[in-house]
Amino acid sequence: MKGASERTLSFMLPMASAAVIAVAWQLAVELGDVPELILPTPSAIAAKLFGTLPSLLQQAAVTGREALAAFVLAVAAGFAGAAAISSSKILREIVYPAIVTLQLIPKVALAPLFVIFLGIDHEARITFAALLSFFPVLISTSVGLANTDLSALRLCRSLGASPWRTFWSVRVPFALPHFFSGMRISSTMAVTGVVIAEFISAREGLGFAILVAGARSQTAAAFAAIAVLCLLGLVLYGAVAGLERLAIRWYRG
Amino acid sequence: MTALPFAPDTTVDAAVDAAPARGIAWQRWLRWTLVRPILLPLLLAAAWLAAWQWGVELFPQTRSLLSSPSEIGAILGKSLPFLMPQLASTAREAVMGFALAAVIGMALGTAITMSRRLEQALFPHLVLFQIIPKIALAPLFVIWFGVGSESRLVFALFLSFFPIAAATAGGLARTRPEALRLCAALTATRWRTFVSVRVPFAIPSIFAGLKMGMTMALIGTIVGEFVTGQQGLGYIIMFAAANADSALTFAALGLLCLVGLTVYGAVLLAELVAQRWYGAPFVTEGFN
Repeated sequence: MKGASERTLSFMLPMASAAVIAVAWQLAVELGDVPELILPTPSAIAAKLFGTLPSLLQQAAVTGREALAAFVLAVAAGFAGAAAISSSKILREIVYPAIVTLQLIPKVALAPLFVIFLGIDHEARITFAALLSFFPVLISTSVGLANTDLSALRLCRSLGASPWRTFWSVRVPFALPHFFSGMRISSTMAVTGVVIAEFISAREGLGFAILVAGARSQTAAAFAAIAVLCLLGLVLYGAVAGLERLAIRWYRG
Repeated sequence: MTALPFAPDTTVDAAVDAAPARGIAWQRWLRWTLVRPILLPLLLAAAWLAAWQWGVELFPQTRSLLSSPSEIGAILGKSLPFLMPQLASTAREAVMGFALAAVIGMALGTAITMSRRLEQALFPHLVLFQIIPKIALAPLFVIWFGVGSESRLVFALFLSFFPIAAATAGGLARTRPEALRLCAALTATRWRTFVSVRVPFAIPSIFAGLKMGMTMALIGTIVGEFVTGQQGLGYIIMFAAANADSALTFAALGLLCLVGLTVYGAVLLAELVAQRWYGAPFVTEGFN
């Protein structure tokens, strides 16, 4: 009984606080007479959002497609890279310091270079976002693959399992939690990367819509586009979390 | 979330290798394994630079896209007086944004763990804000704070705040229950428990948040420079790239990497000091 009410509370309290914040925002803007240029009310943003929904969804489709393509590329390349690194000690010693250094430097600053190299089309934005979201997957997965239970590996060896079989049946399942935590970070990085690239080069997409609305001081329109973008980010993140649940159930079942 | 130190080698081969061996061969092998992790990455870097230099010299027509390392070095030396103020601008905005975010983030992160209900009400929002692409708000900061330095600083603060606050709250909320029960049994005051038990237990998580926050502050400054287009290394990179001046672009990128590694290194150093101060008996396992 107590457990149930605790669970209800942990669901209700965030909802309640969100509602309180929204109401406070609305009242503060209306009573304080804040110009809509500075901060529109939540209701004005919602009105703008529903008023321009078709065009926003069109922009969201562009951004979403690019982010998804970048994410898929990054996950595939990150997993393959991690598998290669974990299969050879020499290779690991050679490239790991380089990877850690690359992880630390601000790769966001490379965005203008991608425009020079790849133009202002989809490819540049997808490649840039894929680069940003590649490193989290690579690093988490290689840490996961290196952390396989030693006794499980000994068992594989004494049972005469091939390296291939050991990799897929033992190392990968052990690395799954790490792999998915890398994927979750990388899903947010993919959306972020596409938006930054759109700030720089695009003629369409939500990032472009936000930039244009900001430049024209249409704050409500900017907020509406940001809201759609947040929703897009959450959908991608939620899809990864759902996939994680499925994968873990698959390996347990 | 951030770079993890590579886990100890747990392959069967490593276990076999680690078994005691005898004689000269063993000593030689040991020396080789000590030198190898330093030598091999340096060799890779040298080979990479040589291939780059040679490749650009072989195909000079790529020069507007990609300059050779020696050209980049030359332009870096020549335009250093011009680039240093830009570097100072970027570093100042990122570091000050981070410092403010660290103070505010740790204070608010601590405040919401003071009450269980407050934590339940607000912690999910902190996590939600970690997930959404906050970078998209950059144009709004131009509306609110203009195109000057303070606009980028506040944007860096905004991006840097959430990982720090979430990691602080998460770390403080997950003190080991045994330790808390021990404190209660010893009738320690709330304040004493907080200072001597909760905070030390949360240190690894707080520093994971601070490292993330430092990275985000620099990213925020750079994106802010892209959007405001006034000064800073990010602006120089965008400007030079638009002029197809690839040597200057890469020179500015090199300096920016230096800034990134320095500020990250400073946080790592602070973590080491804090760990030594508290005796570091804790598992270094971050939030996330």
